[in-house]
Amino acid sequence: MKNPLNKRMLRELRGEMGKYAVIAILLVATIGFVSGFLVAGSSMIAAYNEGFEKYNIEDGHFRVEKQLNRAQLKALTGAGVTLYDLHYREAAIPNGSTLRIYPDRTQVNTVCLMQGTMPAARGEIGIDRMYAENNGIAVGDTLTDENGESWTVTGYVALPDYSCLFKDNTDTMFDAIKFGVAIVTPEEFDALAEQQIWNYAWQYDTAPADDRAEKDAATDFMKLVNKTASLQAFVPEYENQAIIFTGDDLGSDRAMIAVLLYIVIAIMAFVFAVTTSNTIAKEAGVIGTLRASGYSRGELVRHYMAMPVLVTLASAAVGNVLGYTVLKNVCVSMYYGSYSLPTYVTRWNADAFWMTTVIPVILMIFINWLVLSRTLRISPLQFLRHDLSRHSNRKHALPLPSALPFFGRFRTRVILQNLGSYVVLFVGVLFANLLLSFGMILPDALNHYSDTIADNMLSNTQTMLQIPYSAMDEDRKLNALLSMMMFRMETETEENNAEKFSAYSLQTLSPEEGGAAKSESVLLYGVEPDSRYVQLPGDGVYLSSAYADKYKLSAGDTITLREKYEDTTYTFTVDGVYDYMGAVAVFMPREKLNETFDLGSGYYGGYFSDAPLTEIKEEYIGSVINLDTLTAVTRQLMVSMGASMGLVNGFAVMIFFVVVYLLSKMIIEKNAQSISMTKILGYSGIEIARLYLLSTTVVVVLCLAVSLPIEVFLMKFLFRAVMLESMTGWIEMWVSPTLYPRMMAAGLAAYAVVAALEYRHILHVPMDEAMKNVE
Amino acid sequence: MLLGPSGSGKSTLLNILGGIDCADSGDILINGERMADMNEKALTLYRRRHLGYIFQMYNLIPNLTVRENIEVGAYLSRRPLDVDELLRLLGLWEHRAKLPNQLSGGQQQRTSIGRAIVKNPDILLCDEPTGALDYKTDKEILKLIETVNQKYGNTVIMVTHNDAIRLMADRVVRLRDGAIRSNETNAVKVPAQDLEW
Repeated sequence: MKNPLNKRMLRELRGEMGKYAVIAILLVATIGFVSGFLVAGSSMIAAYNEGFEKYNIEDGHFRVEKQLNRAQLKALTGAGVTLYDLHYREAAIPNGSTLRIYPDRTQVNTVCLMQGTMPAARGEIGIDRMYAENNGIAVGDTLTDENGESWTVTGYVALPDYSCLFKDNTDTMFDAIKFGVAIVTPEEFDALAEQQIWNYAWQYDTAPADDRAEKDAATDFMKLVNKTASLQAFVPEYENQAIIFTGDDLGSDRAMIAVLLYIVIAIMAFVFAVTTSNTIAKEAGVIGTLRASGYSRGELVRHYMAMPVLVTLASAAVGNVLGYTVLKNVCVSMYYGSYSLPTYVTRWNADAFWMTTVIPVILMIFINWLVLSRTLRISPLQFLRHDLSRHSNRKHALPLPSALPFFGRFRTRVILQNLGSYVVLFVGVLFANLLLSFGMILPDALNHYSDTIADNMLSNTQTMLQIPYSAMDEDRKLNALLSMMMFRMETETEENNAEKFSAYSLQTLSPEEGGAAKSESVLLYGVEPDSRYVQLPGDGVYLSSAYADKYKLSAGDTITLREKYEDTTYTFTVDGVYDYMGAVAVFMPREKLNETFDLGSGYYGGYFSDAPLTEIKEEYIGSVINLDTLTAVTRQLMVSMGASMGLVNGFAVMIFFVVVYLLSKMIIEKNAQSISMTKILGYSGIEIARLYLLSTTVVVVLCLAVSLPIEVFLMKFLFRAVMLESMTGWIEMWVSPTLYPRMMAAGLAAYAVVAALEYRHILHVPMDEAMKNVE
Repeated sequence: MLLGPSGSGKSTLLNILGGIDCADSGDILINGERMADMNEKALTLYRRRHLGYIFQMYNLIPNLTVRENIEVGAYLSRRPLDVDELLRLLGLWEHRAKLPNQLSGGQQQRTSIGRAIVKNPDILLCDEPTGALDYKTDKEILKLIETVNQKYGNTVIMVTHNDAIRLMADRVVRLRDGAIRSNETNAVKVPAQDLEW
């Protein structure tokens, strides 16, 4: 015989529809979003990984000054590689962006058409989908460059070697607003006026056995290219941020999303447990009778646990269906908002099922079992007597000062009666507000960075020089010497306020090597002793404040950096921090830097200047750092994370609403008989609300006020963790003076809705409730 | 029948016999086993297999029908009585699909008797089963307990403070101030129908 108690489940569900509905909606939304996120993530990762073969992605590419002649091509292909033309031209678009235009590719890095058609005739162009969306360019639009050349956009494309739109491999962050790629027909490409850039992709005829072998192969090939032609850039695939950044980032948020889900489930489990404990208190007589009749405690625990578990299971089922359909598309669009990924196929994800169904149900069972088995531990007799205290000695009423007005004492008693519920409420409010603060602080910090970086730049322009590859040719030393002399002469400037600095790039240690975050490039500046741009307080080693803040370093600490792809490390003792948030950088006197890296006393690597240095040839300029490049990071983060912050805020308010609504509803229901009695006695609805609702209002306001500083404290860790994971470089956390008022306003607005609902609830408590048998 | 004024200890004695309360001193043996030596699991099993409980308050499950409330008792038994037959015997057949809040006090108490008796327990413990009802309904309930006793042959231990109903019992134990004052056997039992108070 099936347990007849099960027959009340459906009626319980109908009777408490409001409670179960709001919990289910929250669970469905959370599980659905997480499931959608995981499914979208894994489908995207699969599409990305399979893209290497499907689109025949290069093993690397290099740029040379002039087109390779037949002899050069023969020399290079003789080294066990296949070369492909990957020439491009760059068009300046009037909106300030740059469009890198390639002729259609058929052999390597082949094109994925996302929408529309491929360009088939002169005057037609297929542009990168993400660049197009960021700049509001639709299929069918006409695109005109600054030379007056115009194209009709026939379709959106994704290029597998630009899944992340890095214009230059040395850029700190990609910028899919100001940089895009495009495809035209070979005829159109040949007819374009812009200068052709001689770029070649290569693939090894025999794939290197491992990473080490690949690095060796790339180094050997670079030497060969450098010897054969005038090399300007050399980027093996494993170093190409435009290819690998996406792969590194996809799925990196999984752990955080899972933690978010489990916290929501845990809070809901406690809400369930508290409300079920309230039901148990109401049904104490029945429980006593059942226990006296021979029902075991386990049977009753299982019975009262059944609804939370069933609701979780049902929510997980619905959530997963939504996750695989609607919400997956939402999450996919978030990925497409950050990366220029190719088309994908939805994959069944066993991990998503495990994380969004099995673990939440286990969590729900565990927490409810923990609370309910404790609540049901008392003897049948105590249940029959409605004495639900676990301690044999009944608690005495807490004496309250008689000076406290009657309403104040009454409310205090209500608060004391519901302390357990209010603890859960506090945890719920804390978590909801933590999410809200994250959703508010991140955009604040990005905006603050953008607003303040202009005043914090080392100089308006930093011109980083690039020594030509020919100057490093060890096999042709005379040639190299001549190249170097040319470089020295050509990079001198007449600009009055230009000031030389030395520069050397090293890497931070990766976590495997004992570092605190993923390895990133650190630029070491050697500055003049009397520099007008960087005034160091002494002749020691100073960290930029971004470096010090990111790695929590201060004077007296030591830092260890290593050469890229080499084991050589350098250790420096920090003498102080220099106020510069623009980059993770190190400053020291120029002489000291040149000596440390054996660069020669006259060496310099760039210029600080107020204005751009126009007379230096472009081939000698590695990169230019100005306000535009420094704010590219925040611009891109705002685009890729901005939309999700709105979602986070909405979700936070929803959690807040559900937790506060359920617990205040429970408190009103718990006191329904007393409320009914006060009505009989002649209290008005407002007076009753002042007794029963105002106590919850006081607690909610207190919870909000107390939780705010706690959240900001916790956010320091969370923000750091997210930033360490999301970017190289650094953006410090910044708390806007309006943060507290905005968060308080959001909390109070959500509570106002709850209070209105509960006031209605109070008005609807019937007067005959008090006449019911209390047993 | 356990008889005595309020506070005499009759409910406490009944609860000790039912394994839901403990005696301060003395022993209670169930089939030769000391009750004090039984752990919670053993006591639950004892109640499950051997006892039926009826309280002054009916303690019915509000969102189960009459029939389902009785099935709650049947579920615990390895040899339950036929629920339909019992519904007819209790006069609840027409009300079997109703929820407790649609029933009168007497009907609710009859349902709680059904829930206790459907297990076909060896012992039926009744704690003031008529205490909350009017005279006429009281009598109906007593008649019902008598009928059940005769039909199914279970031992019925009933607590009451109503001296008049002692006559329907085989044995009457009087309590006062927590102690048994007398233990008598009725030479002649009076049917519940004929009792007056």
